[in-house]
Amino acid sequence: MTMSANLVSSQFLANSLILPVTQAQSALTTAMTEESTGQYADLGLQLGDQSGYELSLKEQVSLIQTLTSANSLVSTTLATAQNALSAISTSAQSTMTSLTAWTPSANSGATLQTMGQSALQGLIASTNATSGDQYVFGGINSAVAPMSDYYSTPTSAAKTAVDQAFQTAFGVLPSDPAAAGISATAMQGFLSGPFAALFSGSAWSSDWSSASSTNTSAEIAPGQTVVTSANANEPAFQELAQAYTMLSEFGGSQLSGAAQQAVASAASSLIARGQDSLTNVQAALGETQSAVTDANSSMSSQSTILQKQVDALDNVDPNATAAQINSLTNQIQMAYELTARLQQLNLAQYLPVP
Amino acid sequence: MSLSAAFNVISSSFAANAAQTAIVSNNIANVNTPGYSRQIANLVTNSYGGADVASVTREANAALAEQVSTSTAQAAAQQAIADGLSTLAQTVSDSSSASTTSGANQNGASPAAMLANLQSSLATYEASPNSSSAADAAVTAAKTLTASLNSGSAAVATVREQADQNMASSVKTINSLLSQFTAANNAVVSGLQAGTSVASAQDQRDSIVTQLSQQIGVSTITAANGSMSIYTDSGVTLFQDTARAVAFTPTPTLVDGQSGSPVTVDGVPITGPNSPMPIQSGALAGYAALRDTLAPQYQAQLDQIAGGLINAFAESDQSIPPTLPSLPGLFTTAGETSLPSMSATTGLAAAIEVNPNVDPAAGGDATLLRDGGISDPGNPAYTYNSTGAAGYTDRIQQLVGAIGATQSFDPSAGLGASASLTGYTNASVSWLNGENSQASNASSYQSALATQATSALSNATGVNLDAEMTNMLNLENSYASSAKLLTTVNSMFSALLNAA
Repeated sequence: MTMSANLVSSQFLANSLILPVTQAQSALTTAMTEESTGQYADLGLQLGDQSGYELSLKEQVSLIQTLTSANSLVSTTLATAQNALSAISTSAQSTMTSLTAWTPSANSGATLQTMGQSALQGLIASTNATSGDQYVFGGINSAVAPMSDYYSTPTSAAKTAVDQAFQTAFGVLPSDPAAAGISATAMQGFLSGPFAALFSGSAWSSDWSSASSTNTSAEIAPGQTVVTSANANEPAFQELAQAYTMLSEFGGSQLSGAAQQAVASAASSLIARGQDSLTNVQAALGETQSAVTDANSSMSSQSTILQKQVDALDNVDPNATAAQINSLTNQIQMAYELTARLQQLNLAQYLPVP
Repeated sequence: MSLSAAFNVISSSFAANAAQTAIVSNNIANVNTPGYSRQIANLVTNSYGGADVASVTREANAALAEQVSTSTAQAAAQQAIADGLSTLAQTVSDSSSASTTSGANQNGASPAAMLANLQSSLATYEASPNSSSAADAAVTAAKTLTASLNSGSAAVATVREQADQNMASSVKTINSLLSQFTAANNAVVSGLQAGTSVASAQDQRDSIVTQLSQQIGVSTITAANGSMSIYTDSGVTLFQDTARAVAFTPTPTLVDGQSGSPVTVDGVPITGPNSPMPIQSGALAGYAALRDTLAPQYQAQLDQIAGGLINAFAESDQSIPPTLPSLPGLFTTAGETSLPSMSATTGLAAAIEVNPNVDPAAGGDATLLRDGGISDPGNPAYTYNSTGAAGYTDRIQQLVGAIGATQSFDPSAGLGASASLTGYTNASVSWLNGENSQASNASSYQSALATQATSALSNATGVNLDAEMTNMLNLENSYASSAKLLTTVNSMFSALLNAA
């Protein structure tokens, strides 16, 4: 009547397949979710201690994406600035060519004046170039047009200052016939003295430029901040504005031919200096442009590497998942079949009915 | 031997047969009763040479029963912890969007992900500082970050309050099981004294111990008189002749920093930091660990993050030399006029908010984020962008830098004393998911152990239907033989009497 050691309780036998089946079913649900999404069903549970590391990888990827899209803004601004600079350079070059060809003669002063006025208008328009709602040569004061319109009505502060300086120096306005008496030497002295002073320092900031001398800067890659603009207070803008203004103001005036010649030669040497300064500005912005391009390409490859690491943590092996689904399905089918057979495996089934 | 002696043998055979049949029937009837221990009839030869059922043995296995009770208690504790932690882990779940497409908001709703979003928004704002929509977006990102901390803190409170309620119902169950146990134990003791069968009372008693170990880890000792004593796994007496009073006062609302009351047995606390003998297992221990240790630790981390944010985004006096104290900037708590100390951050995660001065929805000006002066608009001392230039980015760069800069944290929150905000929030997610994953693994492991032990116990003490059927056939045959014997002896008597 004693039972052997390898007795199995009928209750355990009947229920033994319930647990494996429920476990397999829940594993199957998980595996099917993973198969359809390609990622672990519960990442937090799967990664555990590593989830902070995974988050930091994802954060780096998203920061790189943000910086990359911000860099496209920076690139647009830089390209706009370069366009404007090359327009300014072209105009300076053609003014220079015209000046070289110019000789004093009757009505030749009007040529100088037209030349100066159109070049100055072009300079003002180019300096006030915008990218989006941002003035590219405004420095950090990017919401305000950096160069005021010299020819505005009412008369601009810059024009008033030029007239006043001339009046102070010679007691007449340039349009006064008495101005014809001004000698070339006196004119040279005026141009390099009181007139030049109007295009630098506080006179420049108050009459001509609203730009901030502080350039904008931006983070173009994690931890890499570069200066991303030039501003209208650079010498190039001052020198060209000075040259064009003198042509525009004194060219068509009542000045003698000798004095006009003095104006023309002063202007051409200023334009030459201005072109040099302009090249420096273009080179500086060009360096930033290539820095942005370099940053973009290095961030792009970095992002690829980071994303690979994220994928390695997050993603399941689709082949392994497929194989797992297969074997789980088999296991469940097997368990069902066994349950049915176990029901038959009962001595009572085989005893004759008395 | 006389023929009449043969009658006696046959009659004892019938009696023994009936007793054995009763036991087999009993076993078969209880084949599907969980916790039923099969009974075995012990036969002895009586003075006539026949057989009597001397006693009924209840097949028990104390070692396996202890194993079942221990692993059940362990599994219940880990399950309670895993349930609570997975509720908390949902607040940092980043699997909500399972797509592989990248983007700033793919990281779910954890404070860590929201901080990363804020950092991205600030970087975007830095690239177009004159854009008011970029400023608004950055303020919105800051608001989702504070909302994430607020809801994380609320989730901690909910988990703790739920744990407290569960402790109350667990204590109620324990007391009710102990009173049932008193009845069953008394039945065993008095039955043994009277010499009646106590098998079913013993079954009941064992089943109560198993149910009890779901709630609280216990060990048992059976005295010579059959009375069983129950002790907690830490050695506190729960039952010895009489049930001890297990008491608990629930705390319906548990705010940050408030501790719940301990469970006591006869006035001695068995949970919480002041307990001399804290229990180690059972659901009650799990709930207590959740309420008193794990959830508060996560809360402390959230509070540290909130304090770190307020400090990192604080505004300092820009005058030269500075004379005024630094004030809370983008992040603050209502009515706060000074910076929090990192060693006293309790309640900050629940209270942190975006300063209304910078929040367009509250009538504030989002561009203060670029210009400074959030703490005290109009006060030039706290204005960073003194010229009001639209392209000013120095302050935004400072803020982006502050997120990544190393700062001090209170090491008692368990994540070290020094880290960047980003590093700290990530570490907090790691901590929570790590604890959750550990508890979940331990819970599966202990459940498997409990299932194993239960199967082993079931095999050792349960009923096998085929074995009982075989016994039944044996009994049927021996009954038939005894009947045949009776007929034979009877005909022998008849022959003897007829012959006379």
